[in-house]
Amino acid sequence: MRNPLSPASLLESASESSYVRSLVVGTVGVLAALGVLGLAFPESVFGDLAGIVFSTSTGASTARLAAPIVLAGLGGIFAEKSGVINIGLEGLLIISAFVSVYAASVVGVGNAVLGVPALVIAFLAGIAASTFLAAVFAVVCIEFKADQIIAGLAVWLIALGLAPFMSTVFFGGVNTPNLGVSVGWKYSATMVVLATLGSWWLLNRTAFGKHLRAAGENPKALDTVGVSVSKVRYAGVLLSGVLSGVGGSALALSIGQFVGSGETMVQGKGFIAIVAYLFGNYNPLGTLGAGVLFAGLDAMQIRLQQLGYAIPDTLVQTIPYVVVIVVLALVGRTQIPEAAGEHYETEE
Amino acid sequence: MSDPNPDADGDPSVFARVVAPFVDRSVAERLVISVAAIFLSILVGFALVLVSGRIAECSTAAWTMPITGLGFCYNPFEVYVVLFNGALGYPFAVGDPGLFNPGWTPFNLSFGLTLSETTLLIFTGLSVAVAFRAGLFNIGTQGQLVVGALATALTVLALAPLLPAGPVAGLVLIVVGTAAGAVGGGLWGAIPGALKAYADANEVITTIMLNFVAANVAYVLVLEVFRAEGSSVVATRYVPEYAQFPSVLFPASTDFALIALLVGVAFIGALYYFVEHTSLGYDLRTSGVQAAAAEYGGVNAKLTTVRAMTLSGALGGIGGSVWVLMSEGRWMASIPDLGFDGITVSILAGNNPIGVLPAAFLFGILKGGALEIGFRTDVPTELVAVLRGLIILFVAMPEFFRMIGRYAGVGGAGGAGSTKPDESAGGDGGEADA
Repeated sequence: MRNPLSPASLLESASESSYVRSLVVGTVGVLAALGVLGLAFPESVFGDLAGIVFSTSTGASTARLAAPIVLAGLGGIFAEKSGVINIGLEGLLIISAFVSVYAASVVGVGNAVLGVPALVIAFLAGIAASTFLAAVFAVVCIEFKADQIIAGLAVWLIALGLAPFMSTVFFGGVNTPNLGVSVGWKYSATMVVLATLGSWWLLNRTAFGKHLRAAGENPKALDTVGVSVSKVRYAGVLLSGVLSGVGGSALALSIGQFVGSGETMVQGKGFIAIVAYLFGNYNPLGTLGAGVLFAGLDAMQIRLQQLGYAIPDTLVQTIPYVVVIVVLALVGRTQIPEAAGEHYETEE
Repeated sequence: MSDPNPDADGDPSVFARVVAPFVDRSVAERLVISVAAIFLSILVGFALVLVSGRIAECSTAAWTMPITGLGFCYNPFEVYVVLFNGALGYPFAVGDPGLFNPGWTPFNLSFGLTLSETTLLIFTGLSVAVAFRAGLFNIGTQGQLVVGALATALTVLALAPLLPAGPVAGLVLIVVGTAAGAVGGGLWGAIPGALKAYADANEVITTIMLNFVAANVAYVLVLEVFRAEGSSVVATRYVPEYAQFPSVLFPASTDFALIALLVGVAFIGALYYFVEHTSLGYDLRTSGVQAAAAEYGGVNAKLTTVRAMTLSGALGGIGGSVWVLMSEGRWMASIPDLGFDGITVSILAGNNPIGVLPAAFLFGILKGGALEIGFRTDVPTELVAVLRGLIILFVAMPEFFRMIGRYAGVGGAGGAGSTKPDESAGGDGGEADA
C-alpha cells in the first residue's frame, strides 16, 4: 500500500494505527470470502454479490466514481499539508462539473477549437473554474486571515448555489441536457493513477514537497530559511483546485451531463474525499486505496439496485455515507499538520 | 493562537484568554462586518446578474446599459427592487406616483411568506449558533430538521385519533409534536456529538454525511410505511387542521403563524439566557473558545460537546416541527435547505442568539424575495443560494473590512480590531481539527 523506502512513509507508518491496517485486511478478507462463497454457491445471495463485486461493469463504475474522490482527496492533501484545511473541495468539484459540461456544450461535442477537441477544452475549462474558486479561497484564507473552515463552507455553499444558477441561465433548468458523450472509465482510471503517482512524487521526492510539509508543520522554520510561507500555501491550495477540477470534470463528462438538483451530482464526494485522505493518512497511495473503497461501495449499490432486491434503492444509497462515518470514527484523530488551520504572520 | 503555550499558570490569564476574542471583536464591529458583508454580497450578486444577463439569450433586452448601449437579458436593478420590495409586499410604489403604495398593509401575502421563512430560520439559526458557541460546526441542522419534522408528523398523526378534535387537543398535539421533534432532532444531533467527543471524528464531515443518511432513511420510511394513500408525492398524511399553528391576521395561504414567530422569539430569549447566564452555558462557551482552558477549569469537555450537539440538534428538530405544523401540514420529501440557510443566519448574527432575530429576518427577506423574483423576473431564484454562500465568505474575512477601513482612513468600528489583527483573527477559529 505504501512505499516502505520513502522517508515520509517511514515516518507515517510509525504513527499509523493498527486498526487502519486491520480494516484493510478486513476488506480484502471480506472480498476473498465473498469470492469463495460466490463460486461455491452461485445461486445464492453470495453468488449475486460476488457477481456484482467482480463484474467488469462494477469495476468500470468504480473507476468512474473514484475519480472525483481520489483526485479531490489528493488536492486536499496538498492544501492541508501546506497548512490550509480545504473543506471546500465539494464546491470545487461542483463548479468544475458544471463548467466542464457548459464548455463542452458551447464548443459542441465533436468540434474542435484550434485543433483541440471539445472534451479537452471541457476539462481545461473545468480545471480553470475550480482553480479560480480555489484561488479566491486562498486569498480569503491567506491574505484576509479568514477562518479556514468557515471559508471552506462558504466555497461549498457558493458553488452549490452558483452551478444550478448558471445552469438555469444557460439551459433553463438546474440540470443540463445530456450531451450524449461520455469519457470512458479507462481515461478516469488513468488520470487517477497518474495523479496519485505524481502527487506521491511531488510530496516525497521534491524540494517543493519539503517546503509544503514545512509550511504546515513548522512555518517559522520555513520562513527562517527564506521561503515564503504564503507562496507555498498558495501553491498548495491552487493544486487542490487543479486536482479537484480534473475530478469534477471527469465526474460530469463521464456521463455527459451536470445534475444540479438537491446536493447536485457531486453528492458529498468532496467531503468523502476528505475522509479518504484522512483514512490514507495524507499518503496519496492510501488516499487512492480509500477512495477506491468508497467508490466501490457506491458502484456496488448502483448494481444492487439493478438486480431488483426487495431493499429500497434509497436505503442502499446510504451505505457509502454510513461507511464513511464508521471509518472516520475508527480513524479518529489523524496526524494533522501542526500549523494547519492557523494563519501565519510573516516576521519582518 | 501563535503562542504555543498559552496560560498554564493561573485563573486571571485563563479568564483573559477566554474573554479576549469577544472583547477584541466588539458587538459594534461584528455588526459593521455583517452589514458590510451583506452589501458586498449584493454587489457581487448584482455583477453576477449583469454578466449572466449578457450571456443568456433572450429576444428583447430587459435592460440597456446607458452610454455603452449594451443590452442585458436581466435588469439587475429590477431584481433587487423586486427582491426587497416584493418580500415586504410592495410597500413602495415603483413606477406609480408617490413613494408609498396606498393599498399596502403589513398583513399581505408576500410579507407573510417572508415572516414564515423568518420563523423557520430563527430555529435553524439558533441551532447552528449554539453549536458554534461550543466550538462545533454543526452542518447537520438540515438532517436534524428532517428527522425532527418526521418525528413530529408521525407523533401528531398517531395521537390525533386518540383525542377529541378541538382547540384543546390541538394545543396538546402541537406541544407534544414539537417535543417529539426536539427529541428526534436532539438524538440525531447527539450522534455526531458523541462521535466527536469519544472517537474524535470531525463533526463537519459526520454531520454532512448524516444529512444524506437522514434524508434517505426518512424518505424510505415514508415511501414504504407512512405514505399517504393516493398521494402522488412521497409525503405523509396531513395533520389535522386544528393541530397546526393557526394563521392569525395574515392570509391562510402565507403558511405563517404569528404565534410560531413569538415562540421563536421566546426561544431566542431563553437561549440567550442559557448561554450567557447559566453555568452550563458558561461551560459551553468556554469549551468553545478554549477547550484546554475549559478542561483546566474543571469542565467535562466531552460531555459538553455531546450536550451542545444534542441541544443544537433539538433546536433543528423544533425547526422541523414548525415546518410541519406551520408551513406544510405534513412531512414531505422535498424539504427546503433551511439547515444550510441557518449557517448563514448564525454567522451573520455573530453566533449570538440575540443577533439571530435580525439575521433571520434579513435572510427571510432574501428568501421571500426570491419567490417574488421567480414570479416577476426571468432571473433564476437560485441567486439567493449564491448570496447565502457569499455572505458567509465575506463575514468570514473581517480582516478584509479592517483593511478597507484602514485604506479609507475610517476609524471607529471598522478599524477597532486593527491593533491586534492576529489575535482576533485566530482566536475566533476555535479548535479546527480535521
